[in-house]
Amino acid sequence: MSKTLEHSFVELLEKHQNIVHKVCRLYTNNYDAHNDLFQEITIQLWKAYPKFRGDSKFSTWMYRVGLNTAITLYRKSKRTINTQDFDGVSFKIKAEDYDNTEEEQLKVLYKAIHQLNDIEKALVFLYLEDKNYREISETLGISEVNARVKMNRIKTKLRTILNP
Amino acid sequence: MDELDLLKKDWNKKPENKKLTAQDIYPMLQKKSSSIVKTLFYISIAELVFWTLINIIPYFTSPAYRTQLDNVYTNKFVLVLINVISYAIIGLFIYLLFKAYKSISVTDNAKKLMESILKTRKIVSYYVIYNLSIAFISMVVGLYFGIKHNPEISAKLEHSSNYEIFVIYGFLTIFTVVFVLLLWLFYKLIYGLLLRRLNKNYKELKKLEV
Repeated sequence: MSKTLEHSFVELLEKHQNIVHKVCRLYTNNYDAHNDLFQEITIQLWKAYPKFRGDSKFSTWMYRVGLNTAITLYRKSKRTINTQDFDGVSFKIKAEDYDNTEEEQLKVLYKAIHQLNDIEKALVFLYLEDKNYREISETLGISEVNARVKMNRIKTKLRTILNP
Repeated sequence: MDELDLLKKDWNKKPENKKLTAQDIYPMLQKKSSSIVKTLFYISIAELVFWTLINIIPYFTSPAYRTQLDNVYTNKFVLVLINVISYAIIGLFIYLLFKAYKSISVTDNAKKLMESILKTRKIVSYYVIYNLSIAFISMVVGLYFGIKHNPEISAKLEHSSNYEIFVIYGFLTIFTVVFVLLLWLFYKLIYGLLLRRLNKNYKELKKLEV
């Protein structure tokens, strides 16, 4: 593939890398696995890039490829097994920003989200990224109504975890 | 306040602490993918080659087998016809597999992507089932003709009691069943491990539609 193509791709990915990092943060729970998934998503994005026509935003396109890789294509590598779990380290919340209850709530919420299944995580991710139900349904291949119903169920589930 | 709104506020505020530079990203493009599609591709190529060789090798390496086959198929036309059909079927499978791989696109929606992968895996398994059936039929036909055309075995069998014949056939049946069962378990294991997560997530998506 040409150098110009490579250059434009790297530039775009560098600019929007946060999306990929967020996917990795949601689907992995240690440092090595995070990097491993980031690497795989980058490869998949790069392989698909020549077909990217620019009629959708690069970031929108990244959501799809990123989630597809995390949910379907990614095979956990062996070297990610015996590594230190960073749950609670990476999600440390700055104390000065919140009062104690909010901080506690967030900690529990992040933990709760990590316990959801892959599909539920994808829904929460897109919701947190401010995507509307039409976009959520198009990304996952389910109907808008079902996306809404499922999202409500996840909210109830999280509420129960937070206020037992 | 909605719990998720609280999270959303925090989620979008949080800066990413591992910002990569272009220099970090360039080498990543040269790395090899370790996706399940790639693994599935290698497994299916291996299967295609393996089963084709299993069917072809005995014919070329064992003159006795070739003579036996030539004896069974006294009609040359039938032998040629069978060969043409079997190569056409292999060709068809290669074509279908290639088409299925081409249809796997990471930019499809999640459900469609999963369906394309499962469809590809199905084509490979049809190829395996086809080969197993052929192997089974050849075994039965081979045994039948082997016994019929071999005067020694025929003579021996004529002197055997019904009980002995029953034991021989019973043993052969059990052997075949165990062989097929082991093979089936082996496939369940390979694909089960590889596609476990995909199957789980696909079921989860399907569940949303009910």
